[in-house]
Amino acid sequence: MALFVAGLSHRNAPVELREQLAVDEDKLRELLGDIAAAGVVREAIILSTCNRVEVYAVADVPGEARATTFRQLCRHRGVEPASVEAVLYTYAEGDAVRHAFRVASSLDSMVIGEPQILGQVKDAFALAQSCEAVGPALHSLFTQAFAVAKKVRTETEIARHAVSVSFAAVELAKKIFGGLEGKAVLLVGAGKMSELAARHLVEQGVFPVYVTNRTWARAQEMARALSGTAVPFDELSTALAAVDIVITSTAAPEPVIRREMVQRVMHGRRGRALFFIDIAVPRDVEGAVDSLDGVYCYDIDDLKQVVDANIRERVREAHRAEALIDREVAKFLAKQGDVEVIPTIVSLRERLEAIRTGEVKRTLARLPGATPETREAIEALSTAIVNKILHAPITKLRESSRAGSPRSWLELVHELFGLTRR
Amino acid sequence: MHQTLLTVAIIGYVAATGLALAYLVQREELLHRLAALATLTAWVLHTVALLTLAIDLGRPPLASMPEAVSVSVWVVVLLEMWIERRYGLSVLGAFVLPVALVFSLQSTPTRSLIGPTLSGAWLWVHIGLALVGIAALVLNFAGAVMYLLQEHQLRTKRPGTFYYSLPALATLDRLTYRTLAFGFPFLTTGLILGVLWAGTAWGSVFTFDPLALSSYVAWAVYAATLAGRAAGGWHGRRAAYFALVGFAVLMLTLGAGLFLPGKHGG
Repeated sequence: MALFVAGLSHRNAPVELREQLAVDEDKLRELLGDIAAAGVVREAIILSTCNRVEVYAVADVPGEARATTFRQLCRHRGVEPASVEAVLYTYAEGDAVRHAFRVASSLDSMVIGEPQILGQVKDAFALAQSCEAVGPALHSLFTQAFAVAKKVRTETEIARHAVSVSFAAVELAKKIFGGLEGKAVLLVGAGKMSELAARHLVEQGVFPVYVTNRTWARAQEMARALSGTAVPFDELSTALAAVDIVITSTAAPEPVIRREMVQRVMHGRRGRALFFIDIAVPRDVEGAVDSLDGVYCYDIDDLKQVVDANIRERVREAHRAEALIDREVAKFLAKQGDVEVIPTIVSLRERLEAIRTGEVKRTLARLPGATPETREAIEALSTAIVNKILHAPITKLRESSRAGSPRSWLELVHELFGLTRR
Repeated sequence: MHQTLLTVAIIGYVAATGLALAYLVQREELLHRLAALATLTAWVLHTVALLTLAIDLGRPPLASMPEAVSVSVWVVVLLEMWIERRYGLSVLGAFVLPVALVFSLQSTPTRSLIGPTLSGAWLWVHIGLALVGIAALVLNFAGAVMYLLQEHQLRTKRPGTFYYSLPALATLDRLTYRTLAFGFPFLTTGLILGVLWAGTAWGSVFTFDPLALSSYVAWAVYAATLAGRAAGGWHGRRAAYFALVGFAVLMLTLGAGLFLPGKHGG
């Protein structure tokens, strides 16, 4: 009986193939049913997202199980098996455990640390459970994978830094102002991206929201959408004085925010910082504004640069996460290994204990005059001998299971001590 | 006895400084915990060393510059630990401990004490208050350095180690302001007592003493910063630069006390 995972992902398979193979929920149920009917796997979970299609399974003959499973999958999706076979990867036992942990922790994702994958793995697990395809092995593997994913998220900064431009803007605002509660934002011009950034800011406690636009109706519309206040465009500099964050995204060919304007505004602010997020191309904020004291101005390229740095940061954190996963895999295998050898250890103990009690009984029957002290001494002596004999084989079994190869030792112990298989 | 304890404490500060700097770069939580543990242990040993010394001497260990500096290091580390916990500023140690370490290395040699001219209870008060003020200004300096590093990161728009490990500008600005607001009254009262004492003991307030003169300059710089902040709405970068200047003069003051002949050092 062996655990394996086989599949393809964004790492090696082109998107055309991935979308051909992606399976929706109903099809997944059907597929799990067909695989179960084929009788080659004991347990199976299929994970199908836009970035990967993977089968986690426990089978007696993994090679056969893998082949059958993917033949079924290809048949279901009408894909040529050869094209899949070429990009299919397979991991067995410890490597499969590691892969499951890495996938759930978003270390194998296209954007490292993205939060969706854990939910998708949980869904796949729940679906397989509802199809009764999950047994004890996959159950313990996946519940542990969820725990590891949570640990990776809390103990490393893998998901901490923003990897989208709009979130990067929020992160920068926090680096300038600390908490964002009660900071005011002004949107100059309308646009999907500025609206998105504004929403992120509002979620962080930014209030109030002002909106201005050359077209008054558009300003009002956007203000309604964001529960903000529309401000006439010619009162732009007054509005600047009242806010902390400005998001600009007009279609104007010339900068709408000039250095002189900001300089005047800054005089009245008594050093309060002003943060411009300029998403417009061409830029809305004059480049020279940046050099003013207390003014920070990020255009779209600057924000992308921050995103790039954050991605590098995530990669760096991913190395720490890998180390954490190495430890978790070792722990998991040790526990699993123990689970595997425990029945043998128990029956070994039972067997020797049976021999011991039988022999003690016979001996005592032949010693009718034995004092309680003598009886006690015989009990203690026999127990000590049994424990001494058991010590070495039990230790060896535990060690071998931790090393990942208990099978031959298990058989040997069964043979040597005449244990019956359960 | 106290010398051995002090040496061990300094070794502890060295370890704490190394760990705190490693944490700043690596951002590994374990390093931070170890640094905090090393700091606390070294500080406790330092406390015992100072108490032992005070008992041996039968007076507060404030009569010579090395003693006084050692006590100020003790206050600096105490403030560092408190602010770090209070504000969750886990990288603070990396900026404060190196300064504390430089101070404590200065203060190890046991220089001869200036005994005869020193007397009177309020002399201890003068020294004690000045030391608490100086300790707070060490924190003020650390806050200013952190502020300028973070501000530089935000201006160059290329996030690096400091961008990720340092807190928000507003937090750092608040830290420099509060440490100044806390330290300044101590420094002022300490100086006033010193001036009054100098008037009676040395005969004149304006006797040439490098430490005294330099400390007036430092006081003036800090007074200007505080006034600028309170009245002129100074913030951020300007306040941080002033904190650096003030600290530089303060270091000159201590240097004068340690190395230049005068009524304070010897």
